[in-house]
Amino acid sequence: MTRIKNVIEVEGKVVECLRSAMFTVELENGHRVLAHISGKMRKHYIRIYLEDRVLVELPPYDLTRGRIVFRYRN
Amino acid sequence: MNAKPLTSGPSENAVTITRGADGQWHAHHDDVVVGCGYARHRPDGRLFVSIDAWHDATFDRLAETMLAELPAPLYTVVDEADVALTASWRRAGFAIRRREWEYAVPTDPEVTGLDGVLPPPGVTIVPAGQADEILLRAVDRAIRDEVEAAVGWWRTMPAEVIAGVDGDTIVDPSTYAVAAADDRYLGLVRVVTVIRPRIGLVAVRAGEQRRGVARALLAHALGTLHRSGHAEARAEVHESNRAASALFAGVGARPESSNLELVR
Repeated sequence: MTRIKNVIEVEGKVVECLRSAMFTVELENGHRVLAHISGKMRKHYIRIYLEDRVLVELPPYDLTRGRIVFRYRN
Repeated sequence: MNAKPLTSGPSENAVTITRGADGQWHAHHDDVVVGCGYARHRPDGRLFVSIDAWHDATFDRLAETMLAELPAPLYTVVDEADVALTASWRRAGFAIRRREWEYAVPTDPEVTGLDGVLPPPGVTIVPAGQADEILLRAVDRAIRDEVEAAVGWWRTMPAEVIAGVDGDTIVDPSTYAVAAADDRYLGLVRVVTVIRPRIGLVAVRAGEQRRGVARALLAHALGTLHRSGHAEARAEVHESNRAASALFAGVGARPESSNLELVR
Protein backbone atom coordinates (compact mmCIF):
# COMPACT_ATOMS: atom_id res chain seq x y z
CA MET A 1 0.00 0.00 0.00
CA THR A 2 1.38 3.38 -0.93
CA ARG A 3 2.04 5.75 1.93
CA ILE A 4 1.88 9.46 1.24
CA LYS A 5 4.07 11.92 3.10
CA ASN A 6 1.41 14.53 3.53
CA VAL A 7 3.47 17.71 3.48
CA ILE A 8 4.23 20.59 1.14
CA GLU A 9 7.88 21.58 0.73
CA VAL A 10 8.69 25.21 -0.02
CA GLU A 11 11.92 27.20 -0.12
CA GLY A 12 12.20 30.35 1.92
CA LYS A 13 14.46 32.71 3.80
CA VAL A 14 14.75 33.18 7.56
CA VAL A 15 13.70 36.75 8.29
CA GLU A 16 13.40 36.57 12.06
CA CYS A 17 14.90 34.43 14.82
CA LEU A 18 12.44 34.20 17.68
CA ARG A 19 12.77 33.05 21.24
CA SER A 20 11.72 29.47 21.93
CA ALA A 21 13.82 28.24 18.99
CA MET A 22 11.29 29.35 16.39
CA PHE A 23 11.89 31.26 13.18
CA THR A 24 9.85 33.39 10.86
CA VAL A 25 10.48 32.17 7.32
CA GLU A 26 9.42 34.15 4.30
CA LEU A 27 8.46 31.75 1.52
CA GLU A 28 9.06 32.31 -2.17
CA ASN A 29 5.47 33.43 -2.62
CA GLY A 30 5.83 36.10 0.06
CA HIS A 31 3.89 34.26 2.75
CA ARG A 32 5.44 34.04 6.18
CA VAL A 33 5.32 30.96 8.38
CA LEU A 34 6.37 30.20 11.93
CA ALA A 35 8.86 27.35 11.70
CA HIS A 36 11.00 25.19 13.93
CA ILE A 37 14.05 23.06 13.08
CA SER A 38 13.51 19.38 12.36
CA GLY A 39 14.81 16.96 14.96
CA LYS A 40 17.05 15.40 12.34
CA MET A 41 18.81 18.72 11.72
CA ARG A 42 19.09 19.45 15.42
CA LYS A 43 20.65 16.04 15.97
CA HIS A 44 23.37 16.97 13.50
CA TYR A 45 24.01 20.32 15.18
CA ILE A 46 22.90 22.27 12.13
CA ARG A 47 22.21 25.86 13.14
CA ILE A 48 19.83 28.29 11.54
CA TYR A 49 20.48 32.02 11.47
CA LEU A 50 18.97 35.15 10.05
CA GLU A 51 18.89 35.24 6.24
CA ASP A 52 19.63 31.54 5.81
CA ARG A 53 17.91 29.97 2.82
CA VAL A 54 15.97 26.95 3.96
CA LEU A 55 13.54 24.28 2.82
CA VAL A 56 10.36 24.19 4.88
CA GLU A 57 7.77 21.45 5.24
CA LEU A 58 4.23 22.73 5.71
CA PRO A 59 1.40 20.61 7.03
CA PRO A 60 -1.49 20.81 4.57
CA TYR A 61 -3.95 21.65 7.30
CA ASP A 62 -2.13 24.70 8.67
CA LEU A 63 -0.08 26.74 6.21
CA THR A 64 1.01 29.22 8.87
CA ARG A 65 3.41 26.77 10.49
CA GLY A 66 6.34 24.81 9.22
CA ARG A 67 9.36 22.67 9.90
CA ILE A 68 12.80 23.54 8.55
CA VAL A 69 14.20 20.36 7.04
CA PHE A 70 17.20 21.67 5.06
CA ARG A 71 19.55 24.64 5.08
CA TYR A 72 21.10 25.67 1.79
CA ARG A 73 24.77 26.54 1.70
CA ASN A 74 24.40 29.82 -0.17
CA MET B 1 7.84 18.21 17.35
CA ASN B 2 8.24 21.60 18.88
CA ALA B 3 5.01 23.07 17.63
CA LYS B 4 1.90 22.75 19.71
CA PRO B 5 -0.89 20.67 18.25
CA LEU B 6 -2.15 22.50 15.22
CA THR B 7 -5.57 20.94 15.08
CA SER B 8 -7.17 18.14 16.95
CA GLY B 9 -4.76 15.85 15.05
CA PRO B 10 -5.00 12.11 14.68
CA SER B 11 -6.13 10.32 17.78
CA GLU B 12 -3.57 8.14 19.45
CA ASN B 13 -5.35 4.96 18.50
CA ALA B 14 -5.70 5.96 14.86
CA VAL B 15 -1.94 6.22 14.36
CA THR B 16 0.03 3.15 13.37
CA ILE B 17 3.81 2.91 13.50
CA THR B 18 5.96 0.99 11.05
CA ARG B 19 9.68 0.49 11.05
CA GLY B 20 11.39 1.21 7.78
CA ALA B 21 14.88 0.48 6.60
CA ASP B 22 17.99 2.27 7.82
CA GLY B 23 16.85 3.37 11.26
CA GLN B 24 13.58 5.03 10.32
CA TRP B 25 10.11 4.78 11.79
CA HIS B 26 6.97 6.16 10.21
CA ALA B 27 3.69 7.10 11.87
CA HIS B 28 0.68 6.64 9.58
CA HIS B 29 -2.82 7.93 9.78
CA ASP B 30 -5.21 6.99 6.98
CA ASP B 31 -2.23 5.93 4.85
CA VAL B 32 -0.65 9.31 5.28
CA VAL B 33 2.74 9.70 6.98
CA VAL B 34 2.13 12.03 9.92
CA GLY B 35 5.44 11.63 11.71
CA CYS B 36 8.94 10.20 11.37
CA GLY B 37 11.54 8.93 13.79
CA TYR B 38 15.22 8.45 13.08
CA ALA B 39 18.03 6.63 14.86
CA ARG B 40 21.68 6.74 13.93
CA HIS B 41 24.96 5.81 15.59
CA ARG B 42 27.59 8.48 16.05
CA PRO B 43 31.21 7.56 15.29
CA ASP B 44 31.76 7.29 19.04
CA GLY B 45 29.19 4.46 19.12
CA ARG B 46 26.37 6.32 20.84
CA LEU B 47 22.91 5.99 19.36
CA PHE B 48 21.07 9.27 18.73
CA VAL B 49 17.36 9.52 17.97
CA SER B 50 15.08 12.26 16.70
CA ILE B 51 11.37 12.55 16.01
CA ASP B 52 9.44 14.92 13.76
CA ALA B 53 5.70 14.95 14.21
CA TRP B 54 3.04 17.62 14.16
CA HIS B 55 1.12 16.31 17.15
CA ASP B 56 2.02 15.26 20.68
CA ALA B 57 0.09 12.00 20.36
CA THR B 58 2.08 11.05 17.27
CA PHE B 59 5.36 11.98 18.93
CA ASP B 60 4.50 9.85 21.94
CA ARG B 61 3.55 6.85 19.82
CA LEU B 62 6.77 7.07 17.83
CA ALA B 63 8.85 7.51 20.98
CA GLU B 64 7.16 4.57 22.65
CA THR B 65 7.80 2.30 19.67
CA MET B 66 11.39 3.40 19.11
CA LEU B 67 12.33 3.11 22.76
CA ALA B 68 10.91 -0.40 22.89
CA GLU B 69 12.89 -1.48 19.83
CA LEU B 70 16.23 0.24 20.43
CA PRO B 71 18.91 -0.60 22.99
CA ALA B 72 19.57 1.83 25.83
CA PRO B 73 21.14 4.26 26.31
CA LEU B 74 19.61 6.54 23.70
CA TYR B 75 20.57 10.17 23.16
CA THR B 76 18.98 13.18 21.53
CA VAL B 77 19.72 16.88 21.15
CA VAL B 78 17.34 19.79 21.72
CA ASP B 79 17.59 23.55 21.80
CA GLU B 80 17.01 24.48 25.43
CA ALA B 81 14.71 27.30 24.33
CA ASP B 82 12.49 24.74 22.63
CA VAL B 83 10.43 24.05 25.71
CA ALA B 84 7.77 21.98 23.95
CA LEU B 85 10.24 19.57 22.34
CA THR B 86 12.20 19.23 25.56
CA ALA B 87 8.95 18.43 27.37
CA SER B 88 8.12 15.79 24.77
CA TRP B 89 11.42 13.99 25.33
CA ARG B 90 11.06 14.30 29.09
CA ARG B 91 7.65 12.66 28.76
CA ALA B 92 9.43 9.80 27.07
CA GLY B 93 11.79 9.46 30.03
CA PHE B 94 14.80 11.39 28.79
CA ALA B 95 16.90 13.49 31.18
CA ILE B 96 19.55 16.17 30.69
CA ARG B 97 23.05 14.84 30.34
CA ARG B 98 24.96 17.92 29.20
CA ARG B 99 24.43 21.57 28.30
CA GLU B 100 26.48 23.46 25.75
CA TRP B 101 26.40 27.23 25.25
CA GLU B 102 26.70 28.73 21.83
CA TYR B 103 28.69 31.95 21.79
CA ALA B 104 28.74 34.72 19.23
CA VAL B 105 32.39 35.76 19.10
CA PRO B 106 33.39 39.14 17.69
CA THR B 107 36.46 39.18 15.45
CA ASP B 108 37.40 42.87 15.49
CA PRO B 109 40.64 43.23 17.51
CA GLU B 110 39.41 46.54 18.88
CA VAL B 111 36.48 44.67 20.41
CA THR B 112 38.25 41.49 21.43
CA GLY B 113 41.27 43.25 22.86
CA LEU B 114 43.47 40.71 21.11
CA ASP B 115 45.31 43.20 18.93
CA GLY B 116 49.01 42.66 19.45
CA VAL B 117 48.59 39.43 21.44
CA LEU B 118 51.59 37.23 20.75
CA PRO B 119 52.33 33.61 21.63
CA PRO B 120 54.69 33.00 24.56
CA PRO B 121 58.46 32.93 23.88
CA GLY B 122 59.56 29.93 21.85
CA VAL B 123 56.09 29.39 20.39
CA THR B 124 54.98 30.33 16.89
CA ILE B 125 51.55 30.19 15.29
CA VAL B 126 51.39 28.17 12.08
CA PRO B 127 48.45 29.38 9.95
CA ALA B 128 45.71 27.07 8.73
CA GLY B 129 46.76 25.04 5.72
CA GLN B 130 50.46 25.11 6.62
CA ALA B 131 50.56 22.69 9.55
CA ASP B 132 52.58 19.48 9.30
CA GLU B 133 49.92 16.78 9.15
CA ILE B 134 51.82 14.20 11.21
CA LEU B 135 52.51 16.65 14.02
CA LEU B 136 48.94 17.92 13.81
CA ARG B 137 47.48 14.45 14.24
CA ALA B 138 49.92 13.83 17.11
CA VAL B 139 48.87 16.90 19.08
CA ASP B 140 45.17 16.25 18.42
CA ARG B 141 45.51 12.67 19.66
CA ALA B 142 47.59 13.69 22.67
CA ILE B 143 45.12 16.35 23.79
CA ARG B 144 42.13 14.06 23.34
CA ASP B 145 43.86 11.35 25.36
CA GLU B 146 44.73 13.84 28.10
CA VAL B 147 41.16 15.10 28.36
CA GLU B 148 39.73 11.59 28.22
CA ALA B 149 42.03 10.48 31.04
CA ALA B 150 41.09 13.47 33.17
CA VAL B 151 37.49 14.65 33.07
CA GLY B 152 36.39 12.77 29.95
CA TRP B 153 36.06 14.23 26.49
CA TRP B 154 32.28 14.26 26.41
CA ARG B 155 32.05 16.11 29.71
CA THR B 156 33.91 19.21 28.65
CA MET B 157 34.57 19.36 24.94
CA PRO B 158 32.31 20.39 22.06
CA ALA B 159 29.67 17.81 21.28
CA GLU B 160 30.20 17.96 17.55
CA VAL B 161 31.38 14.63 16.25
CA ILE B 162 32.87 14.35 12.81
CA ALA B 163 32.79 11.04 11.03
CA GLY B 164 36.27 9.68 10.68
CA VAL B 165 37.97 6.45 9.80
CA ASP B 166 39.31 4.39 12.70
CA GLY B 167 38.77 7.16 15.20
CA ASP B 168 40.60 9.75 13.11
CA THR B 169 39.32 13.14 14.23
CA ILE B 170 41.30 15.27 11.75
CA VAL B 171 39.04 15.18 8.74
CA ASP B 172 40.38 18.29 7.03
CA PRO B 173 43.90 19.29 8.16
CA SER B 174 43.67 22.56 6.24
CA THR B 175 41.18 23.94 8.77
CA TYR B 176 43.66 23.85 11.67
CA ALA B 177 46.11 26.50 12.81
CA VAL B 178 48.57 25.33 15.43
CA ALA B 179 50.91 26.63 18.12
CA ALA B 180 54.32 25.17 17.43
CA ALA B 181 57.44 24.67 19.54
CA ASP B 182 60.74 23.46 18.08
CA ASP B 183 59.93 19.77 18.06
CA ARG B 184 56.18 19.46 18.41
CA TYR B 185 52.86 21.22 18.34
CA LEU B 186 51.47 22.50 21.62
CA GLY B 187 47.90 23.37 20.70
CA LEU B 188 45.45 23.83 17.88
CA VAL B 189 42.45 25.83 16.75
CA ARG B 190 40.02 24.69 14.08
CA VAL B 191 37.90 27.15 12.14
CA VAL B 192 35.35 25.95 9.60
CA THR B 193 33.35 28.33 7.45
CA VAL B 194 30.10 27.00 6.05
CA ILE B 195 28.03 30.10 5.37
CA ARG B 196 29.55 31.67 8.51
CA PRO B 197 32.69 30.88 10.51
CA ARG B 198 32.63 28.52 13.42
CA ILE B 199 35.41 27.80 15.89
CA GLY B 200 35.16 24.07 16.30
CA LEU B 201 37.96 23.53 18.76
CA VAL B 202 40.62 25.42 20.73
CA ALA B 203 42.84 23.11 22.74
CA VAL B 204 46.30 23.05 24.30
CA ARG B 205 48.37 20.22 25.72
CA ALA B 206 47.92 19.91 29.49
CA GLY B 207 51.53 20.76 30.29
CA GLU B 208 51.44 23.91 28.16
CA GLN B 209 48.28 25.49 29.52
CA ARG B 210 48.11 28.82 31.38
CA ARG B 211 50.90 30.29 29.24
CA GLY B 212 48.70 32.21 26.83
CA VAL B 213 48.88 29.65 24.03
CA ALA B 214 45.10 29.33 23.65
CA ARG B 215 44.66 33.10 23.71
CA ALA B 216 47.33 33.46 21.02
CA LEU B 217 45.64 30.81 18.89
CA LEU B 218 42.30 32.55 19.29
CA ALA B 219 43.86 35.93 18.48
CA HIS B 220 45.29 34.45 15.30
CA ALA B 221 42.02 32.77 14.26
CA LEU B 222 39.81 35.77 14.96
CA GLY B 223 42.29 38.19 13.37
CA THR B 224 42.37 36.07 10.23
CA LEU B 225 38.57 36.02 10.07
CA HIS B 226 38.39 39.77 10.62
CA ARG B 227 40.82 40.45 7.78
CA SER B 228 38.75 38.26 5.48
CA GLY B 229 35.61 40.25 6.23
CA HIS B 230 33.85 38.18 8.89
CA ALA B 231 32.59 40.28 11.80
CA GLU B 232 31.56 37.36 13.96
CA ALA B 233 32.24 33.67 14.55
CA ARG B 234 30.36 31.02 16.49
CA ALA B 235 31.68 28.65 19.13
CA GLU B 236 30.16 26.05 21.44
CA VAL B 237 31.39 25.61 25.00
CA HIS B 238 30.31 23.02 27.52
CA GLU B 239 28.92 24.72 30.61
CA SER B 240 31.44 23.10 32.94
CA ASN B 241 34.46 24.13 30.89
CA ARG B 242 35.38 27.22 32.87
CA ALA B 243 38.66 27.82 31.08
CA ALA B 244 36.99 27.93 27.69
CA SER B 245 34.11 30.04 29.00
CA ALA B 246 36.59 32.52 30.47
CA LEU B 247 38.61 32.58 27.26
CA PHE B 248 35.58 33.47 25.15
CA ALA B 249 34.04 35.83 27.70
CA GLY B 250 37.38 37.63 27.86
CA VAL B 251 37.20 38.53 24.17
CA GLY B 252 33.66 39.87 24.38
CA ALA B 253 31.84 36.74 23.23
CA ARG B 254 28.23 36.49 24.35
CA PRO B 255 26.18 33.33 24.91
CA GLU B 256 23.21 33.31 22.55
CA SER B 257 21.64 29.90 22.95
CA SER B 258 22.17 26.52 24.54
CA ASN B 259 21.84 22.94 23.43
CA LEU B 260 20.86 20.09 25.68
CA GLU B 261 21.95 16.53 25.17
CA LEU B 262 19.33 14.23 26.65
CA VAL B 263 19.73 10.59 27.53
CA ARG B 264 17.48 7.74 28.52
